[in-house]
Amino acid sequence: MTETYSAMNLFLDFSVIGILILGIWLFRWPHRAKFGNLTAAFALACAAALILYRNGTQYPYIILLSLAVGSVAGYWVAKRITMIQIPAMVAFQHGAGGVAAFSLSLAELMRGSQHLGMMNEISGLLGLAIGSLTFSGSMIAGGKLSNKLGQTPRILPKHTWLVMINLIGIIVLIVAALYAPAGSRIFLYTLIILLSVLFGIVFSIRIGGADMPVLISFLNATAGLAAAFCGMIIENKLLISCGATVAASGSILTHVMCRAMNRSLFRVFVPVEESRQKPAVNDEQNRVAGPVEKEVRHQPVEENNFQKAVEIARKADKVIIIPGYGMAVAQAQFEVIDLSNKLLSMGKDVKFAIHPVAGRMPGHMNVLLAEAGVDYDMLEEMDAINPEFRDTDFSLVVGACDVVNPAAIETDGSPISGMPILLTHESKHVVCCNLDDKPGYSGVRNPLYENSNTVLLLGDAKETVRQLLENLSETSPATEESSGRDNPQDSKKEHLDSAITALSSAKKIIIIPGYGMALAQAQFKVVELASLLESMGAEVRFAIHPVAGRMPGHMNVLLAEAEVDYDKLCEMDEINSEFSQTDAVLVFGACDVVNPAAMDTKGTPISGMPILTAHDAKNIIVCNFDAKPGYSGVENTLYENPKTIMVLGDAASTAYDLTDALKAQN
Amino acid sequence: MTNLLLMAGVFLFSFVIGYFLISRIPTLLHTPLMSMTNAISAVTILGVLILFSVTSTRTEQIIGSVAFAMAAFNLVGGFAITDRMLRLFKKKEGGVGNND
Repeated sequence: MTETYSAMNLFLDFSVIGILILGIWLFRWPHRAKFGNLTAAFALACAAALILYRNGTQYPYIILLSLAVGSVAGYWVAKRITMIQIPAMVAFQHGAGGVAAFSLSLAELMRGSQHLGMMNEISGLLGLAIGSLTFSGSMIAGGKLSNKLGQTPRILPKHTWLVMINLIGIIVLIVAALYAPAGSRIFLYTLIILLSVLFGIVFSIRIGGADMPVLISFLNATAGLAAAFCGMIIENKLLISCGATVAASGSILTHVMCRAMNRSLFRVFVPVEESRQKPAVNDEQNRVAGPVEKEVRHQPVEENNFQKAVEIARKADKVIIIPGYGMAVAQAQFEVIDLSNKLLSMGKDVKFAIHPVAGRMPGHMNVLLAEAGVDYDMLEEMDAINPEFRDTDFSLVVGACDVVNPAAIETDGSPISGMPILLTHESKHVVCCNLDDKPGYSGVRNPLYENSNTVLLLGDAKETVRQLLENLSETSPATEESSGRDNPQDSKKEHLDSAITALSSAKKIIIIPGYGMALAQAQFKVVELASLLESMGAEVRFAIHPVAGRMPGHMNVLLAEAEVDYDKLCEMDEINSEFSQTDAVLVFGACDVVNPAAMDTKGTPISGMPILTAHDAKNIIVCNFDAKPGYSGVENTLYENPKTIMVLGDAASTAYDLTDALKAQN
Repeated sequence: MTNLLLMAGVFLFSFVIGYFLISRIPTLLHTPLMSMTNAISAVTILGVLILFSVTSTRTEQIIGSVAFAMAAFNLVGGFAITDRMLRLFKKKEGGVGNND
């Protein structure tokens, strides 16, 4: 496989690399990048032609057939997908690159195991391992990004150990493969592939949500590295060179993404392990599992209590629902979910607190709620939610007793003493929709029922929750004087009006698009609004945070698709100094990237993260879906800024309403 | 040994050149950049061409054709999607963002 390089051949090789570099170099300017892309493609075509010309081929039909299959599929997919799906598409392509890399390594190793040098063999084995893990990792990433898999990180017990053991296993196999007799090597190669595929899966399933851009950039780097190792086996400089360039690119993007989120790469890949609390009281389960006697002796619920409960619900900002097995027995979960949707639509923050022993088996309550259509992001485990009760305005207990019984932590010697409970009693108001006020299975009286801030709505949970929901929908908003967030219809109009006032007088406007805008597919409406504002004489620009979107630069692509001139897309560092002279900022579906808490407070997950300093502007109009925190879970202090106008709801319809109202005004 | 050093040298050199080239690329274009570098990582297709330049066993042929098809998917799909994306980045003629 050694070729004698004539001067001519060397010149040709370097020409190809030169053309490729030119292609990448052209990416520095947006208007030349398209040409750069074609240049790079041309360079690779030249390289292929050169190799064919030099070496010829033994199997033209195999090559033509695989080429046809691969390119038609690639081209077809590339033409079909929408811009919001790009990250998933890129992830799947990384996967294809991984397959190509490990297959090539495998073929070369099988062919050359007799006469390959030590270094070539090590490279081949590394190519095998890295190619395989890129493949499986990308498949997981692609699945998550295309919503085929759950977006949340999935953490297995002892996850870090699993990853480490897996990694050590791969290294041991690689060493073994170097010294094993030729006959058994193929077996070891297969094992390396399998173990690396497993590694890719275990490694990437626990990365999710906001960390996806880091994962996809990292896989970009590993795909390049795998290609470079392939090049090392056959000592081909072009392969090594291209692979190394891609690896460099992926590393840069990984670094950029980490910096933008103020996360260390290590923390992204090794998240703090959640303590998976196993049900502490196992026999509690058995007791809960017993049949619930259907009590006929309902005392009629006092109207008065309902009014109190509705009042509490209306005034609350932060709501936690505690479902117990009684809810499941009453088959009230659908009513509970209707109620939670109603509360959500009123702009409240709603979560479900799941006690480990709620339900018939560990995690059973989650299944029941998931079946009824609850977004599992809203389901919180006990340890995660307990600190939050203190700031909660309204806790709704539905069919749960022992798991919210403060006697468990306040008194000694009772059957439930020491049992971990949901700290419901710490919240400002508690409403209990239980069948009766008798003790639960433990037989311990529940002092929660007697607290002055507890309202009891006794009776069949299905009935009481439905009634609560009806009362909540009926109550006239006019009687409410609290902040206006309580009624979405009227307050939205009011807020829309103040937003219009702010916009129509603004000379300098900055729009901050976030991933929420993309999810709502609102970019076209937003761009329409921007053009309207421009025609009214305002200067309109877009401020792009580095992590807006699901992969580096994704937001720019989405806006470019909506025909925004790229001159108007400003990077964070360039535009941050301008917010103070800006009359109005429009935030569409962005939260963490404009959260001043990143600068003002220490110790939160976003502390130190660079943000767009929207709070410096004269008016801030937030067109987000709700006022809940973003991925970081940190409350956004921008929302409480007196200069901020909150126009909550679907971003596309908000943009549409704003455009309409502005048009009507002119 | 000299060969090994040469290979390591090519790797390091490309990594450094790539690093400097790419760190200058505006964040605006990071998605098309990743998509294009992704297509470039399909250079493994050249490796398969070299593999097929000599007589191969049946197994090698099968593995090689899988590698070739996957690399072609990555290569063509990657460049095509990058091209589609970059066509979206438009700039209006004449002054933009003028307020008058």
